[in-house]
Amino acid sequence: MTPLKRKQWDRALTFALFTLPALAAILISVEIPFLMSVFSSFTKWNGLDRAQTFIGLENYKELFLDDLDMWKAFGFTLRLTLGSVLVVNLCALLLAVLLDSDIRGKNALRAAFYVPNIVSLIIIGYIWRFIFSAGFESFFQTTGLDFFMFSWLGDVNLVYFSVLMVSVWHSLGFYLVIYIAGLQTVPRDLIEASMIDGAGRVVRFFRITLPLIMSAITVSVFHSLSNGLKAFDVIFSLTNGGPGNSTTTIALDIYRTAFVINRFGYGTAKSVVLFLMILILSIFQVRLFKSREVEV
Amino acid sequence: MKKMLFVVMAVLLAFSPLFAAGQQEQAAGPVTLNVLFYSPELAEQYNDMVAAYKAETGVTLDITVLQTDYRSVLTSRLNSGDVPDIFMSSAYADNSTYKDYVYDLTNEDFIKKIEPSALQGVIVDGKVLGYPFLVQSHSFIYNKKVFADNGITTLPKTLADFEAVSKKLQANGVQPFATGFKEFWVLPQTAWQAIANVPAENYGGYENFVAKLNAGELKFKDIPQMSQVFDLLDLIKKYGGPKPNESDFNDQTSSLATGKVAMIHQGNWAEDSIRKTNPEVEIGFLVGPIGNNAATAGIMFDSNQTIRIAKDGKNLDAALDWLRWLTTSEYGRNWIPGKVKQLSPIIGAAAPDSQIAKETSALLASGTPGYPWFYQMFPTGTEQQLGAILQGYCAGITNRAQTLDALDSAYAKIAKAAQ
Repeated sequence: MTPLKRKQWDRALTFALFTLPALAAILISVEIPFLMSVFSSFTKWNGLDRAQTFIGLENYKELFLDDLDMWKAFGFTLRLTLGSVLVVNLCALLLAVLLDSDIRGKNALRAAFYVPNIVSLIIIGYIWRFIFSAGFESFFQTTGLDFFMFSWLGDVNLVYFSVLMVSVWHSLGFYLVIYIAGLQTVPRDLIEASMIDGAGRVVRFFRITLPLIMSAITVSVFHSLSNGLKAFDVIFSLTNGGPGNSTTTIALDIYRTAFVINRFGYGTAKSVVLFLMILILSIFQVRLFKSREVEV
Repeated sequence: MKKMLFVVMAVLLAFSPLFAAGQQEQAAGPVTLNVLFYSPELAEQYNDMVAAYKAETGVTLDITVLQTDYRSVLTSRLNSGDVPDIFMSSAYADNSTYKDYVYDLTNEDFIKKIEPSALQGVIVDGKVLGYPFLVQSHSFIYNKKVFADNGITTLPKTLADFEAVSKKLQANGVQPFATGFKEFWVLPQTAWQAIANVPAENYGGYENFVAKLNAGELKFKDIPQMSQVFDLLDLIKKYGGPKPNESDFNDQTSSLATGKVAMIHQGNWAEDSIRKTNPEVEIGFLVGPIGNNAATAGIMFDSNQTIRIAKDGKNLDAALDWLRWLTTSEYGRNWIPGKVKQLSPIIGAAAPDSQIAKETSALLASGTPGYPWFYQMFPTGTEQQLGAILQGYCAGITNRAQTLDALDSAYAKIAKAAQ
């Protein structure tokens, strides 16, 4: 063995040894359970019996042909995801531009917007549940505005906006941070050059800033997209899927199938489908957005 | 040298879980029973009982109390092999859900000290698969002061009575009901009570009724009395304040305690919360209307909360000793009526200091029907699913016909999966 070869070999070995523990941990805690659940999705199993009955593609057949509730939940999840991706990214970008300029108290404001993100979504859900019912009732008594007497969590037509509002309110701070960081990487000299060329504020934003922070947008949209598709905790604590099943998301539907109705096999089949959906949508989205990124 | 050390460390790390598991097995000495319970509102009483048992016998109960995610935690603990020595579940359908894990108590001496009627929900093929923990009842609870202040002296029994009372209260500016519609479990309890006599009178008994539903021979849409369910829900919604779909358990108990509303549909477990909000409150129990027939109107009375003993646990004998102590010792016999303040299923147990429990006993003694919680015989999971569908009806998403179809299709699916 030549010294060079030996060195390369040593390096590879060190690399393997250092990554081995992490690899083993990921295999044991993520990949192997995932493969096991893929196997479970082909069985009829209530999560308790010691035996799992292999039933082939029956679960998937039922899922695609005979489960209207799941597709309703899917529809709601898509609507919620679309809404939250649009609203949260637009709001966060707008606020980031504001908070990146020289306004007074911007540090305090940045902190204020970030605070809800630190609190667990479950708690946020319960807090807003209280605000929507008892809180709004007190507001109504002092202000007399009908707005507060709408049944924000009990009316099928309003509950979508309540859920959207709470989840945006919670996650805004996180995306704000990403966008502010993105804005700070935009080189001053490009901005100055455009100013000399006579570009106004609006043109400058759309022609210079926006293309340069495209990578931040990619990350934020990707993150909000996959979080939206997986939405669970805010629904669980705020509406518990109700009224009726009108705010049941796929994740909540999966949880109920597996743990409430005790259909583990069927529940894992649903989660495999959800996994594939998130995977496909994410790949599509990242491809699309990546192609618009520019390098300075 | 360094590399050597690294390899040794890596190997040690890889095996450490094995060593840890091995050490656990060897733990000897005084027995510790691993217990998983629900009903966190009883946490104080659980701990009191644990302390008393430790003082008398030296055995420790390591008790975990959960509520909303109880089922999921229990399920994952059971199928990961971390089986609690003692756990809780519902009666009826849960007998078969946990059949692989549950010890058969039929031949234990202390089972003979339990009221036979309380054992009905835990007996399968002559085998006693659980220990009825307490006897509970649910129906309409009313605030006696609100009724008296509004001149209501005759207690309502039929749907028309309830409507008349509600009208009167509403006219006097009192909200008649807090609905509890936001809780998926309140809706089925309210709804099934409105047809509580139907399975026995028209379908040859509760077991037969549920068997027919499970086999798909009977559909909800073919039960004419289902209209009583919708009539009752409509009534509660109509007189349930401006936001009937947002009322939850806390709203129900606090509104009743403060006299903001006159009636709620709840069970005896709500009394503690009600009296915590207003210790002076006087509450009573009303029968639930079954259409307009006053004679059949009754309360739902059953022993649903069940203690199960794991059959493969290495502390099986210790767990059985604990149950025996709970049934026969002085502290144990007094625990449910004296500390938990609910009705005890033990023969000859004392009566609890609870307004609802007293009214329950009085109602039953005066010949008011006490119906079993037959909806607990429905396959596991129907409570939540059918509850959500009924919630959809109350929110105006579906009409009566659509609701019935949805109930039938949801039930059929769960029944098929449970086979």
